Amino acid sequence: MSPSASSCVLCRTLLWSLLVLLVLFAFGAAIRFLPDRPVTYDDPVEHFKYGSTGGERNMGFPYWIFQVLPEVCPDLLPGKGYPSLGFIFEPGRDLPVGMSKRRHLGIDRVFLNCAVCHTATVRTAPDAKPMLVSGMPANQLNLMGFQKFVQACVNDRRFTPSQVVPRIAEKAGGLGLLDTHVIYPVGIHLMRDGVAGLTGRLRFIHLQADWGPGRVDTFNSAKAIFGVPFEKLSPEELVGVADFPAIWNQAKKQDMQLHWDGNNSRVEERNLSAAFGTGATPKLIDHAAIARIEAWIATAEPPAFDRHFPVDRALADRGARIYMQRCAACHGKSGSDFSGAEVGKLTPIAAIGTDRGRLDSYTLELAQNQGMLYSADPERRFRHFRKTYGYANAPLDGLWLRAPYLHNGSVPTVWDLLQPASKRPKSFYRGNDLYDPKHLGFVADQPASQGTPLFAFDTRIPGNGNAGHEGAAYGTTLPDADKWALLEYLKTF
Amino acid sequence: MKTLCRCPRWLKITALVVLILGVVLGYVGWDRFLRDHGATQFDNPDDRFKYGSMGAENDAGIPYWIFYVLPRVFPDKLPKPGVGYASFGVVWEQGQELPVGFSKRRIGFDRVANTCAACHVASYRSRPDETPTLVVTGPNHTLDLEAFFRFLVDCAKDPRFNADTLMAEINLAADLDFIDRMAYRYLIIPITKKRLTERESQFEWIYRSDFPEWGRGRDDAMNLTKYFMIRWPMDDTFGPTDMPSVWNLKKYQHEKGHRMNFAGDSHDVYSVVIDSALGLMGAAPKDTDDFLAHIDWLVDYLKNTPPPKYPFPIDATRAARGKDVFDANCAVCHASALTGTIIPLSEIGTDRGRIDTWGKQAAIEANQVVSDMGIERRGLVEAPLTGYVAQFLDGIWLRAPYLHNGSVPTLADLLTPPAQRPQLFWRGYDVYDPVRVGFVVQGAAAERAGTPLDTRLRGNGNQGHDFGTGLPDADKSALLEYLKTF
Repeated sequence: MSPSASSCVLCRTLLWSLLVLLVLFAFGAAIRFLPDRPVTYDDPVEHFKYGSTGGERNMGFPYWIFQVLPEVCPDLLPGKGYPSLGFIFEPGRDLPVGMSKRRHLGIDRVFLNCAVCHTATVRTAPDAKPMLVSGMPANQLNLMGFQKFVQACVNDRRFTPSQVVPRIAEKAGGLGLLDTHVIYPVGIHLMRDGVAGLTGRLRFIHLQADWGPGRVDTFNSAKAIFGVPFEKLSPEELVGVADFPAIWNQAKKQDMQLHWDGNNSRVEERNLSAAFGTGATPKLIDHAAIARIEAWIATAEPPAFDRHFPVDRALADRGARIYMQRCAACHGKSGSDFSGAEVGKLTPIAAIGTDRGRLDSYTLELAQNQGMLYSADPERRFRHFRKTYGYANAPLDGLWLRAPYLHNGSVPTVWDLLQPASKRPKSFYRGNDLYDPKHLGFVADQPASQGTPLFAFDTRIPGNGNAGHEGAAYGTTLPDADKWALLEYLKTF
Repeated sequence: MKTLCRCPRWLKITALVVLILGVVLGYVGWDRFLRDHGATQFDNPDDRFKYGSMGAENDAGIPYWIFYVLPRVFPDKLPKPGVGYASFGVVWEQGQELPVGFSKRRIGFDRVANTCAACHVASYRSRPDETPTLVVTGPNHTLDLEAFFRFLVDCAKDPRFNADTLMAEINLAADLDFIDRMAYRYLIIPITKKRLTERESQFEWIYRSDFPEWGRGRDDAMNLTKYFMIRWPMDDTFGPTDMPSVWNLKKYQHEKGHRMNFAGDSHDVYSVVIDSALGLMGAAPKDTDDFLAHIDWLVDYLKNTPPPKYPFPIDATRAARGKDVFDANCAVCHASALTGTIIPLSEIGTDRGRIDTWGKQAAIEANQVVSDMGIERRGLVEAPLTGYVAQFLDGIWLRAPYLHNGSVPTLADLLTPPAQRPQLFWRGYDVYDPVRVGFVVQGAAAERAGTPLDTRLRGNGNQGHDFGTGLPDADKSALLEYLKTF
């Protein structure tokens, strides 16, 4: 063999092994980075609570970064960990209700899903175990607090690979070289970029008073997508904070005016619009996963009051007669029969007289733009958003769990709602999960619950007004005995 | 026989591969850049008028996804705080993807362009808490066209108008395939930037600080024609006019001496429609027959669309008395053989700005441009402009503000001596004022929605047409009532 021949063999061997290495490397990278795999659950309720809407692909936090954020910036939270923002952790769960996980781009990513705003706990007695109710408004969740916490922590000087990665390693019980030196450092930078982009557009939250738990400004958030200059918008459209709604029995609500101001009449458009709030843009949204949630909320029913508290049947029967006279036309025959001439229709703002903030936050201009918003998916593009000039008459299914009342959650109990506005509490505490079966609502006069301070809700600041829905037509002039009877009947909803 | 070609086999294979690649690339290039998928068809004529493509997407079209993201990337350049294109005061039906007068057509890739309806569909409300009512072929008194033109040019000139910034925003909204992404990044965005920026010199006069804003519902129509169609250099003229209503155009009859446009500078309906359409297209039509077929449809549609009836109550008794006042004082110009003909400026006395923007030589050159495209029409009047056309008053209630330059907000104001007419008011708010007959032009809501019109500024003069201003109040009130019946 000549020297040149032997060097050729060497050369070939080298080339071949390089090729094999490359293929192996590519294979490894593909296994690591290509999978796009959400967590899945067979049970529809589990899927609702922890399943993916697809938003993690866009907005998802790397799982471990989410887990260590409270340790990186403990001082930026109102209390200890995510529970202090009202997130609910079921026993044995590493993620709160309303947070889903998806393997995407080589990393587990987590983000909010529908359940985060539509699930809460209820305690029937001070020492009772909290009962988790899917589909009810998330009365404890401080969504604004969560947004502000993430913004602040990710922009904090402590949010650097050198501070964050070791905590992840500690929490995860060790990290691989790739994770330590590439994946998480890059993830941290990407997250800082992503949050910076959003912070500008979502800056309206810094112009608003604290929403408090259980509330969100839905349509100013929608305006944020368009990059609108909030500082210059007219002040009356800047406060559209409203309660999270309950989402049971959607099949019976098709064609009703949905959302508090009734700005859409199609359940599927309303659902998509809400899902986009979980970061699921048209190209990323997981339609199959959403369809499962839609199927579940189409028929999901609220838990019955009388399984937890007694109902005085005789008194309720008397209340039923008052209800049929005064309330049924707008609110439906019962908690399960939503028929009624005015159910799901609008009551003009001048007639209902409740706080205008939420109504005015949704503008004709926004409705117009929503037609173009999701044009990338022509089949599902919004066609039914309409500016309205009143609030929608909602069915009352599961009413007992939908406290506080009115669209902005400004009246703590049904009993208070049956009083003229001047006699309703000017301020009260929101976020308690202890139930008050007498007045129908959550306990609202205690500043703390189980040692955790609660949010003081002030009805005198813009958007929080508790006026309206009053007068003879609304039952606030009834004698007390009638009010108690009506309230008893409403317990059966 | 020897083989003709003695080139080596590798060369043949290479040639074949190159050929196939060339064909494939050629096809893809044609498909993704040039292939016209045609205009969306509409069965309903009103929908066709509102949304049907005129073919302007070819040369004046903006690539859809650029159009889509511009207001998000440049919210600071919107004319007033608001959401997206709605802040320009476009008429936009809720639930529609695009505003009225915006058409979308795939020529290689989706493009957006304008149609006649952008300026000729009106909206009004009887009170603030009401969904606007649309009137097709009505004057769009809410659109800030000048701001829209400037927005496009200003965005293109901004350093943020680059592939990185725009693609980042486009990728949030659209799921473009590889070819589209490459095309947008390397061709469509740079070319659009270049073409929009190139318009800057032609648009120079809309940046002049010594000219007032057009404001909502107006444009400087003949200067647009002068700087774009016949490409004259900028002069010192400024002649803003109201967007006109284009309903019931069959009233104009050339043989009776009727002339069109505010200053009577065009011969007939056919010519006006062609010239306006060419203005939208920004170039000769790709297919003249196609274009003229659409024009024929438009002319027929506009001739036969009736004016809208006054939608609020009318006091019949008072209106009947008003008819006598009208016959005695107004009919001589507005319901006679003079109607539709030019009244000398010395008689009418209104602002002369519009007249000075156009003339005989411009008409001759513009007619030449159009005939060079192989389009035959009577065309523009090749004579000096001497006055303004005495208007037919059909649907006059919806044609506020009044006079050619929209300098008088309501009919009640028009019946007031010029010195007492409002000097400053806000145009573009669409809530109707049935008492003064016109739109609401004062107050916080009008100021927020509209743009100010100061009659002391150039081209905005509200003098002239002082006919009937000396009538007793009772007569004026009766006349106003009668005018609602038009």
